[in-house]
Amino acid sequence: MAVDQRTVTRAVRPRASSWGRARRRDAGTALLFLLPLFVLVGGLIFYPFYRAIWLSLTDKLVGYPERFVGLRNYIYLAHEDTFHQVIRNSLVFTVGSVALKIVTGLAMALVLNNVIRGRNFFRGLFLLPWITSTVIIALTWRWMFDAFPGRGFFNSVLLDAGLIRRPIAFMATPEGAMAAVIVANWWRAFPFFGVSFLAGMASIPKEHYEAAAVDGAGATRRFWHITLPGLKHVIIVTTLLSFILTINDFNIVYVMTRGGPGTATQIFATYSYEVAFNQLRWGRGVTISIFLVPLLVVGIASISRYLLREAR
Amino acid sequence: MPHPTVSRRKILAGALGTSAVLALPRPAAPAVKKGTALRMWILKTYVEPTNKAIEASAARWAAKHGASVTVEYFTFEDMQTKYVAAIENKSTPDVGQLETGAPARFAGMGQLLDLSTFAKQMETEVGKVPANILPVTVIDGKTYAMPWYVMAPFWYVWRDVFDKAKVKLPNTFEEAKQAAAALTRPKDNFYGMGQSWNRTADGYGVMQGLMYSYGASWADKAGKYKSIKTPAMQQVMKWATDIYKDGLQPPDCLTWTGSGNNENFIAKNIAQTSNGPSITFALENALAKATDAKERKAREEALANHVALPHPAGPDGRRMWAIAMSMSIFKNSKDPEAAMSLIAHLLSPEETVAIMKDSYGQFAPVLDKARAASKDYFNKNDNYRNFGRAAEWFVGTGYPGPVTAAAAEVQATNVLTDAPAKVIVDKWSVDQAIDWEDKKIKDVYDTLRG
Repeated sequence: MAVDQRTVTRAVRPRASSWGRARRRDAGTALLFLLPLFVLVGGLIFYPFYRAIWLSLTDKLVGYPERFVGLRNYIYLAHEDTFHQVIRNSLVFTVGSVALKIVTGLAMALVLNNVIRGRNFFRGLFLLPWITSTVIIALTWRWMFDAFPGRGFFNSVLLDAGLIRRPIAFMATPEGAMAAVIVANWWRAFPFFGVSFLAGMASIPKEHYEAAAVDGAGATRRFWHITLPGLKHVIIVTTLLSFILTINDFNIVYVMTRGGPGTATQIFATYSYEVAFNQLRWGRGVTISIFLVPLLVVGIASISRYLLREAR
Repeated sequence: MPHPTVSRRKILAGALGTSAVLALPRPAAPAVKKGTALRMWILKTYVEPTNKAIEASAARWAAKHGASVTVEYFTFEDMQTKYVAAIENKSTPDVGQLETGAPARFAGMGQLLDLSTFAKQMETEVGKVPANILPVTVIDGKTYAMPWYVMAPFWYVWRDVFDKAKVKLPNTFEEAKQAAAALTRPKDNFYGMGQSWNRTADGYGVMQGLMYSYGASWADKAGKYKSIKTPAMQQVMKWATDIYKDGLQPPDCLTWTGSGNNENFIAKNIAQTSNGPSITFALENALAKATDAKERKAREEALANHVALPHPAGPDGRRMWAIAMSMSIFKNSKDPEAAMSLIAHLLSPEETVAIMKDSYGQFAPVLDKARAASKDYFNKNDNYRNFGRAAEWFVGTGYPGPVTAAAAEVQATNVLTDAPAKVIVDKWSVDQAIDWEDKKIKDVYDTLRG
């Protein structure tokens, strides 16, 4: 049957144009609803980030207008010995804390996973450090490591037990001070790992364990071959999150050691604060923080890519 | 003894003279509009009654003029952060109390009002500013802040400990070190000294006192950079590190925060330390709170045995770095006239003395008339007599030059205390640490704008 093309066009055109109008109207409404989100994301993420990048390219001093200096701040820091130490300290602090958190978080999850009675109580109990103010935690650990006669917890216990004759100045050496801030950071955050791992363990099918047990696999083999692979994604995500939070940590080091003794525990955030707020050099202070960004971006991008590939 | 005859003519002449003096034009007090509202930022010291006394004085001014003053506090910890945030957000207070390095830094940023004329007018009311304090508030010939008081460190020692060991109370840094060696008893956890090179005024302040007393400095008289690679600085660094190497201090001394030396001194774990009069405040306060006769006796003994000596001298003299607090007006102030009136009120000898009496010696006035009016108060005992002389020994950051933004930044970088820490902790040589410090200081002067 021959159909007049013009008739079809005439018949379809009004429908198509009303569909287009509706689509445009919907898009407009959607944009209207999304606008607050764009403003929020733009205002709270992109603008501060852009501003930080811009400030790092200026010689901004507090109270003075900023002047563009290109990469001068980056070059300066790349040659500064204190900043080199800050990088080393930050990595030791972060890797040390995160490694401890993974191990103890796993242990906590394994124990809680096998506790039948009072699991929720213990889960809540273990979350206490996570919900306590960081400043309180830092002050408490500072007191625990204190060498003031009759006050520091560890020294009092050791003295009372007759194991030492004089208090040990735990935080007077670079190694001791670093260990102290790592321990405080670990203690605050390991419950986050424990609870995340516990949730991950709940999603591992019980049949896997039953089948492995029937095949004669012991607890250790079941852990290595079922639990750990089953927790892989959770471990990666929590480690990444914790790495970002730990490398940007400020409170614990600032309250416990102020970056000392000397510059032995000076990390990115405390050094950035010192340069920006005490020396009033904002441009350089911001650059210290910005130095981290490429490292974090690469880390986040590669892990996200890996997780997406796994999901497919 | 015969009485001198007083003639009627003499009485009339005297009365005329007095009337003439009274009729002379007095500096006009800045006008205050009724309903004026001012914001004032002041330092929250460890001695709470001082804070309250300043607040009360501001309230008296407000009541007199039908105005209001909102007093906000900053601590030593957040002083920089608070001012920095306010400057960048253009929300500075009308009146702000500033520490030693702040007038130079903030004036350079164009934040402070030029108070030169006001300062001149005030001179008849409050007296002169001592020459050694002027470099804190006068920048390039202009006055940007009105100096008020000095919060100085003193060399605290336990007299009974020294007497028992038959050791002379120290007058110099060298004597203090020798005394520490004679008094240290590690077996009993008792040490001859407690001097931390930390990131507080107890660290960088004492380091500056030590440097200037030995003739070492990083600035010349004009305030320009000068190398510290000198024999005097080597002596300074040797003293600063020997007290650690020789085991004259508690092993955790380097990690003390601002209150570490107070606590260790009061607990009698150490024989000497440098600190402000807050130690005296704590001991006087403890005595007032004693609950029984035994406790009271022990606290009376402690109070009697603690001695606040002048800060030790060095081969080049006795130069004590201290926190010189001044009052300034920010350019953003909506009512500078009222702000000046408030400062004039606070700095008047009467108000200064009233506040000072609640300070336990921590508040040592610097202006001539307030110093004269406070003589009786500081005559209480030897410790207080020393507190009253704080302004005499004062030198500012970057001595012998004026306090400059660069000198203040050198202090803020913590290189002054990080350098001895490099020797003590990282086992650097003294020369290596001085080279490192010198490089850092030079960099500050080379790269600072303004």
